[in-house]
Amino acid sequence: MAELNFSNLSKKFDGVPALHEINAQIASGEFVALLGPSGCGKTTLLRLTAGFEHPSSGTIHLGGDKVAGDGHFVPPEERGVGIVFQSYALWPHKSVHANVAYPLEVRRVPRPEREARVAEALALTGLSAFANRMPSQLSGGQRQRVALARCLVFDPRAVLLDEPLANLDLALRASMHEVFSLFHRRTKATMLYVTHDQGEALALADRVAVMEAGKIRQFAAPEVLYREPVDCFVAGFVGDGAVVSAGITGQTRENRLVVNVFGQEVLSRSATTEPSHVCIRPESITLCNDAPIRARVLSCTYLGGRFRLTLDAAGETLVAFASQRAAIGETLGVKLNDLWAFRDPGAAVVMAKSLAHA
Amino acid sequence: MNASTPARGGGRSLDRLLPFLLLPVALIALGPVVRLLLEGVTGGDGFTTDHLTTVLTRPSTGTALLHSLITAGGGTLLSVLIGAAFAYLVALTDIRGKGALVFCLMVPMMIPPQITALAWMQMAGPSSTLLKLLGIAPPLGSPQPLHSPGGIILLLGIQHASLVFLTLRAGLRMIPADLVEAARMSGAGSFRVWMQTVLPLSMPSLIAGGAMAFVTALGNFGIPAMLGIPAGYATLPTLIYQRLVGMGPAVLPEVAVLALLIGAVAIIGVLFSRAVLSRRGFGLVGLSGNPLALTLGAARRPVEIGLWAFIFVILALPLLALLATSLIPAYGVPLTFANATLEAWKEVLFTQPVTRRAYGNSLMLATSAAAILLAISLPLAWLMERRSNRLSRILDALIDLPYALPGVVLSIACILTFLNLPFTDLTLYGTIWIILMAYLARFFVVMLRPIQASIAQLDPAMEEAAASVGAHLGRRLRDIVLPLAAPSAAAGAILVFLTAVNELTVSALLWSSGTETLGVVIYNLEDSGETIMASALAMSIVLLIIFLMGLVQAGANRFPKGVIPWQS
Ligand SMILES: Nc1ncnc2c1ncn2[C@@H]1O[C@H](COP(=O)(O)OP(=O)(O)OP(=O)(O)O)[C@@H](O)[C@H]1O
Ligand SMILES: [Mg+2]
Repeated sequence: MAELNFSNLSKKFDGVPALHEINAQIASGEFVALLGPSGCGKTTLLRLTAGFEHPSSGTIHLGGDKVAGDGHFVPPEERGVGIVFQSYALWPHKSVHANVAYPLEVRRVPRPEREARVAEALALTGLSAFANRMPSQLSGGQRQRVALARCLVFDPRAVLLDEPLANLDLALRASMHEVFSLFHRRTKATMLYVTHDQGEALALADRVAVMEAGKIRQFAAPEVLYREPVDCFVAGFVGDGAVVSAGITGQTRENRLVVNVFGQEVLSRSATTEPSHVCIRPESITLCNDAPIRARVLSCTYLGGRFRLTLDAAGETLVAFASQRAAIGETLGVKLNDLWAFRDPGAAVVMAKSLAHA
Repeated sequence: MNASTPARGGGRSLDRLLPFLLLPVALIALGPVVRLLLEGVTGGDGFTTDHLTTVLTRPSTGTALLHSLITAGGGTLLSVLIGAAFAYLVALTDIRGKGALVFCLMVPMMIPPQITALAWMQMAGPSSTLLKLLGIAPPLGSPQPLHSPGGIILLLGIQHASLVFLTLRAGLRMIPADLVEAARMSGAGSFRVWMQTVLPLSMPSLIAGGAMAFVTALGNFGIPAMLGIPAGYATLPTLIYQRLVGMGPAVLPEVAVLALLIGAVAIIGVLFSRAVLSRRGFGLVGLSGNPLALTLGAARRPVEIGLWAFIFVILALPLLALLATSLIPAYGVPLTFANATLEAWKEVLFTQPVTRRAYGNSLMLATSAAAILLAISLPLAWLMERRSNRLSRILDALIDLPYALPGVVLSIACILTFLNLPFTDLTLYGTIWIILMAYLARFFVVMLRPIQASIAQLDPAMEEAAASVGAHLGRRLRDIVLPLAAPSAAAGAILVFLTAVNELTVSALLWSSGTETLGVVIYNLEDSGETIMASALAMSIVLLIIFLMGLVQAGANRFPKGVIPWQS
């Protein structure tokens, strides 16, 4: 277990940047998810951490030791970082037992201790019955667990997982989530988990780093990402709902900022006094007939217990939950509360001068 | 934390050292060829073209070149006819027993040419034991019909038909089945489909295969040596051989020019074939799953019978003739049940010091070449695949050269290079080591390509996983790469062994008393009239070859595609 530290980390492939000035600290024992669309550099960050790639600039520290950067480079085999590949990368010529025992053989751990640790790792991942099988005789989920056992058996200082569940079906993913959580609780290992499935990231991780185009846009706990996204990308990428532009009124009321949305003044949480957008989650919307903001129902899907509506309000598409079915084309009133207003770095701020108190 | 620090090994230093492997490999594999080029241009002393012109304008040179072109050209024509007929029938139609048919067609390619020649000579001519057995031998004193350009062409054609077959079949597999199906939907019969769709599409492969057969025929020494020398019909390889054997190293500058001449013709052929193959494109996307199977209908049985009869004539008959000759008590005596004897077999395998020595030498050379190349090729193939740099890419492109060039060219190059070891007074000429060096250079690709193929198929994550759990480079190569590449490496090693153990062309020029190889001894035995012993020795080698081929075949489904030459 060790903390992990990226500072000003950049990586270019043939001059094309894949990662740009990454700065992040991951505490010892923390479970961090890297979330982002395809091609944003998640795998690249993982491979830099493992030591399979050299950074173009910047440094990586692992447990206080510099492992890459400034002309210094510790090769993967000396970093003590475990990695679980999307393709599992089990060695097909070794049995499950031999796969799991290999890290200890390499370390010349004496046989009795080795056997004990292998047995423990296999038991922890529920594989004791399969010890003598070859990888080709296992199911996808079982292979994934072998990869995990092979990784945990040598007490790595950090564990990296690259979309470990991408090849598994939905039901299996849910059960593997439990395995990962259990694994993390037992080993207290520092974990870096790459995924492009936000449900997975939010469910598993202590903190989530949302990446886009080689940069970390926001690095925060799941509930913070959901309630307080820093920009339009994060607001749109994480969670359900809508992002609409907001006008500044310059006022506060009841400790909340007053912003102008759809021509109405609404109260909003915010970290800035000059927001450009508000994030409207489905929970922020109450449907009632006498509300001033009018919206037309575009679709209505039953989710079990409630309906999910998409609504058109002044050209923006909102998402709301309703307890009753709504007819498509019907017009409803929308009341907004507990919004989150933020300032997108790329957006111009709209001063809503038209409003009364000017 | 303590367990997290892996045992430090020579991992990083190995990673730094490994690239230096490229240098000796490049030296051994390409050094002699470069040396030969220099010799041809300088004639040993200073840049001059006089020396070149003297040799090139000599009449014997022109005649030998002409003979080479005639026999190689005629042989190629025959190879194309045989190879194409088999390829079209095997790849496109619904004939049965394709696997066995292909295996039998490949055997002539693996049997050394001088044995092929010896076997065919036992099938024709007045002393043929087989013909005597059947009572249809021509009268004594009539000439051996194979001792002629026609005989050389016939055997070259048969020997290299499999090259055309393999190239063409690989090309045919790239033709999408739906193209042919479309033609059939529009009502074309099997023959029209072949004429109008398949033939034009496969033409580039056919031409490329022909070019390869031509280059190989051009470099063939065993067949023109056995059939041409007695008839006074010299090709370039036999001319070089006769000059060098007759006059010794003094004529080196001269034969170097001859070697360059034949090398130049060969390289033109190779480049031509590559150019044609690279234009094969057509935007064909093959591997469309279901292979083509035009139905032959009622013609199927006659076609099958025809193909097997052909195989019988080109493979079984000569070998039977060889076997028959090896069993008679004295040359010219007809074989009967009563006089059949294993005396010659006993003689060559157990008694004669020369043949026993030759077996020892050839087995030693083949084993060492296979073992050394195996040891070098594994890290080298890994290096070329995973740490590719400019030097490794150049090496990759040129490493085919010593194998593609005619054997005599490489032999002359090796003599030039090792006659005086650079920076010493030592010479390797006349020792067995010069043959070994030549084998290493020549058979490098035979070993390298299969291993390259299997390492290219290996998921790099497999090695990265090993690195992440603490295995340094040496252990990764030993524990992960080696076991996974082992089947292909084994196939490569057997192929090297197979090719080396019955090699004649290179060793014919490099042997000296005490370092004879099997190929040389068969040639010498026949040359000195010991045909029965030559036949017994040849037959024992054929059995060894078929056994080894069978061994590779048995493991066929464990190798990546393209590892076994007769299974493209
Ligand atoms: N070895 C490489 N050579 C050149 N470019 C690369 C290499 N590896 C990654 N890239 C590029 O770097 C960028 C980031 O790639 P990366 O694999 O890190 O994306 P990712 O976030 O893991 O995507 P995905 O979710 O699809 O796996 C991409 O534009 C990719 O094309
Ligand atoms: Mg990725």
